[in-house]
Amino acid sequence: MKKYKTYLKYFIYSVIFVSVIIISYRSAKPRYKPEHYTDIFKDFSWLNDWPKWLDFPLMQPLNSGFDWLIVKYGLFFEGINNFLLGLYTTMKNSIVDLPWPLVIAIVITITYFASGRKTQTTVLVAFCTFFLGFLSPRYWDKCIMTTCIVVIGMLLCIVIGIPVGIAMARNKKVRNALLPILDLMQTIPSFCYLIPGILLFGLGAVPAIIAIFVYAVPPLIRLTDLGIRLVDKEVIEASEAFGASKKQTLWGVQIPLALPNIMQGINQCTMMSLAMVVIASMIGTRGIGDEVLLGLQQLNVGMATEAGIAIVLLAIIFDRITQSYGEKMQERTQPKKKVNF
Amino acid sequence: MKFLKRLILSAFFISTFSLVGTSANAACKVHLGDFDWDSANVHTAIVSYILKNGYGCNVEVTKGSTTPIMAAHYDGQLDIITEVWRDNIVQMHEEAVTKGQIVELGVNTPSSTQGFYVDKATSDKYNLKTVEDMMKPEIAKLFADPEAPGKGRMTSCISGWTCYTINMVKHKVYGLDKFYTNFDPGSGGALDAAIAGGFKKGKPVFTYYWTPTGLMGKVDLVQLKEPAYDNACWTKMMAVVEDIKANGPDVYKKTCASAYVDMSLTKSATTKFANDPANKPIIDFVKKYSVPTAEVNKALGFYMTADGDLEATAKDFLQGSSAWIKWVPADVAAKVKASL
Repeated sequence: MKKYKTYLKYFIYSVIFVSVIIISYRSAKPRYKPEHYTDIFKDFSWLNDWPKWLDFPLMQPLNSGFDWLIVKYGLFFEGINNFLLGLYTTMKNSIVDLPWPLVIAIVITITYFASGRKTQTTVLVAFCTFFLGFLSPRYWDKCIMTTCIVVIGMLLCIVIGIPVGIAMARNKKVRNALLPILDLMQTIPSFCYLIPGILLFGLGAVPAIIAIFVYAVPPLIRLTDLGIRLVDKEVIEASEAFGASKKQTLWGVQIPLALPNIMQGINQCTMMSLAMVVIASMIGTRGIGDEVLLGLQQLNVGMATEAGIAIVLLAIIFDRITQSYGEKMQERTQPKKKVNF
Repeated sequence: MKFLKRLILSAFFISTFSLVGTSANAACKVHLGDFDWDSANVHTAIVSYILKNGYGCNVEVTKGSTTPIMAAHYDGQLDIITEVWRDNIVQMHEEAVTKGQIVELGVNTPSSTQGFYVDKATSDKYNLKTVEDMMKPEIAKLFADPEAPGKGRMTSCISGWTCYTINMVKHKVYGLDKFYTNFDPGSGGALDAAIAGGFKKGKPVFTYYWTPTGLMGKVDLVQLKEPAYDNACWTKMMAVVEDIKANGPDVYKKTCASAYVDMSLTKSATTKFANDPANKPIIDFVKKYSVPTAEVNKALGFYMTADGDLEATAKDFLQGSSAWIKWVPADVAAKVKASL
């Protein structure tokens, strides 16, 4: 009985495959086709090079589907656009208006408390922040713009990525469905979604934020999923034995124990956001990336490298803050070595 | 021992393969540079078709964005470029010519237009015909720049190209800068997408653009009138532009400004390639190669419908025109004709 079912499945697949080929043949342009389809079976010269009529017509439906998306859901995308843009401009303008020493002071304060009062990290981050403006005064405002885009992109990743990661870890079906999508997001060339992003959202910061999301969320989802699945079975069994509900197990046991992995995911997410924001300068996103682009477009290697160093400094700042915050969290959730009875 | 045997065998195979490879390529070898916009693609396709089928050359095409391709060309890695937007990279290009890295091979497309464009619907509705017409707050509101409140946005040229700085100076001279931002789209593809996106959504479009381009055939853009081109004025403006390019936007001085001159697109080859006597027929052909804007637009129109099939586009162009017969010797022309 079971064998019969598998055969049926294969039969259905082959019918679909053959019909797709027939559809492709019928939709091919007349000048690419032999005069009559029986010619295919008489003249076998088409076996040498891939024949032009054997072409799956994917481009047209994708194009019209995309047009449909723009026309039909234009308002919806406009809404997302306005929301993200409003967030970005208010954040950017308020930071740009602050005097620069105050911004450095804020960064130092954030680092100091996020790292659990570690002097070494704080000093390093403070120096890096100072050097952003010190490299070239032009860079200061641009770095703030880049930072705002990265932070908003990261927030979006965290808000969506972590719940999705948890869902993946708890349900095998969800994981099987999502893994290919994550693969797609990680491997598809970034221009494939950057250019449609312009069509949907216009030039500027918003397509960059969307691109950051597409590019940087997969590692966060994967690491969240991994972190929760790596939690010892015994620990979960123990919590269940004490009568913890599923929700309690998740919030009280799985997430705290997965926290180091999740923080690593957030850290990776930040680094990838920063990489994407440079590419995004090619779609008119203002920020430190356009200095690199400008330098390259004028064949000015020095200019491009100088801006590249600024990006590295920015990366160090982000990395140290998220990393040290992760370490702090880890120390907090780790059981104390000495246990007093 | 086994290892040694394998080593000798593999060395033998590699050498035979490379021998076969070189003997097949012996006739002539041309490496063309191509760019990421469609008119360059079409020219490169036509030239490589003639070189392949007429001269029996082995043609290799490398495609990329302006700077890397031009850098490779100056470096001698790419032999011929069929469409150079000379005025946009004038500094780099002239430096390479004076250094003797490349030689220029004359004009490709005799006239190409650049300027400020508005979509037809908006232009008709608000009667926008000249740059002056744009300078009203209520008009600027139509093209609102979401990232610069209170201003409109003109999608400009790509920063790093000379036209970006020219547009910036023009904005200041005309007074457009009080109403509009000179917005750098970052890349050619992004500029096209911004225009196409505006049309798809039915939104007003105010942009810098140029012809010949494939997109121009698909969308309805109206060029805004600027003060007529004047050589003295242009030279004065270009001095300011070059100064800004070298020293940053703070050195802007008051100048005059005029419309873009119709620019000619040129061709170039590396000196090394051009000086090789074996390549003389090829250089002669490329020197003669020149297509008027109208015909380029026609070829671009075909290219748009051909699903990006460049060879079909080249064939269609060669079938539809007879001008190319004069570019090549009779025997080459016959060979190309036979292959169509």
